[in-house]
Amino acid sequence: MSRASYAWRIAASLLGIGLLLNGSLRMSDDVWPVGPLSQYAFSPAKDATIVITRVEGLLADGRRIDLPLRVETAGISRAEIEARIPQITADPSLLRSVASRWTSRHRDEPAMLRVWLVQDQISLVDGRVGRTRLAELATWELPS
Amino acid sequence: MRTLRSAVSWFMPVVPESRIAVLRTVLYLFVIIDIHLFVRDPIPLSRNPELYQPLMIERLFHLLPPSVPLTITLYLILVIGCLVAAANVWPRLAGGVVAAAFTWWTAIGMSYGKVDHDHLALVVALWVMPTVGVIADRWRSTERSAQAGWALKCIQISVIFTYFLSALTKIRSGGWSITSWPDSSILMWAIVRRPHGLGQFLLPYPELLHVMQWCSFTAELTAVVVLWLRGRALLAAAIFWMGFHAFTLAILYIHFAPTAICWLAFAPLERLGPWLRRVKARRWERTGWRPARHPVPVLRDQAVDRGSHRPS
Repeated sequence: MSRASYAWRIAASLLGIGLLLNGSLRMSDDVWPVGPLSQYAFSPAKDATIVITRVEGLLADGRRIDLPLRVETAGISRAEIEARIPQITADPSLLRSVASRWTSRHRDEPAMLRVWLVQDQISLVDGRVGRTRLAELATWELPS
Repeated sequence: MRTLRSAVSWFMPVVPESRIAVLRTVLYLFVIIDIHLFVRDPIPLSRNPELYQPLMIERLFHLLPPSVPLTITLYLILVIGCLVAAANVWPRLAGGVVAAAFTWWTAIGMSYGKVDHDHLALVVALWVMPTVGVIADRWRSTERSAQAGWALKCIQISVIFTYFLSALTKIRSGGWSITSWPDSSILMWAIVRRPHGLGQFLLPYPELLHVMQWCSFTAELTAVVVLWLRGRALLAAAIFWMGFHAFTLAILYIHFAPTAICWLAFAPLERLGPWLRRVKARRWERTGWRPARHPVPVLRDQAVDRGSHRPS
């Protein structure tokens, strides 16, 4: 094996390790695949509020239902909706795709009139599960 | 000079090339599973262009914004490329195409707000495996090389860094404190948000959850040691980490399959080929079917026989 072939391999490994350390110590998820390994890496306090973001829909027969946020059914996952909360509250029509995916998969159900972006807010009390509160973040009326 | 040489031989140990040949088969086939089970959302996500937020890598290389034709093309390239590369055919070309396509595919999956961290080792593996080049005799190869050793070392480092760097990130996010993450309510938070697994039975015991946080944090922080383990100690470490992944799967429904599969970079995979051949030979013996035992008419043999028995 030639000297150059040793050299580039060593250089590449050192560069890779450097990028990874830099990513974890200084950068954000934006620099994937060398970003910080930040899944579950934060530290919620003993009295933190845990939020579960959901989308609910109002059907023409008055039922208010949960629209499951899975890629297979909604085209987008809960985590991706959560990451977009500011955009969605600024422009609730971004919920359109979730609503239309649901209706296209449930053609025999009554028409959907309205969708909400809601959060279950579960408060911890001294590290144990406390009360749950429902908060509405955004509403969008479907064009009829 | 001696330290330099030992550093070089640590990064590039001379190992059997058949390890890479076997690893290629396993990992390229795993990529096909991955794009169906784990990073399976790029095609549906590409229908929501308004939610796309390109990562730095996508901006840096001016990658096209995802569209349905683009993601379907990537999908087809990945399936075909992986099948070719898994057979150890055109390892540089097919492997390079798969590395680029899978990196792009996964980057698209991470460009809609949620970034996962279980693909580091697999992405690194896909980029380094082609550098070993053609392995004559593939699984049966008896060649040893430093190229193969370097590729394996890179994958091993990425696997271990997945744990070690996550511990560093926990220290960083807790305001550079060692205790803030293990003392926090993170597992409680995670279980409340994903109440599918066995974790819900642990909700009444926050103290137990804290003990588990301390154990996993200590294991992650000290994981680097594994890079210097050998033999039984290495096997014990591998079993521990497989147990860790099984545990998080049971409690939180979080699997780290792409990282777990890359643990194979530590395994003596060169034994797989000979082992399979022995198993096959034994089966032939047991069923009594052995090609060599059957009297097969061979032209030249007959001629010799006749000649030797002919009375003169």
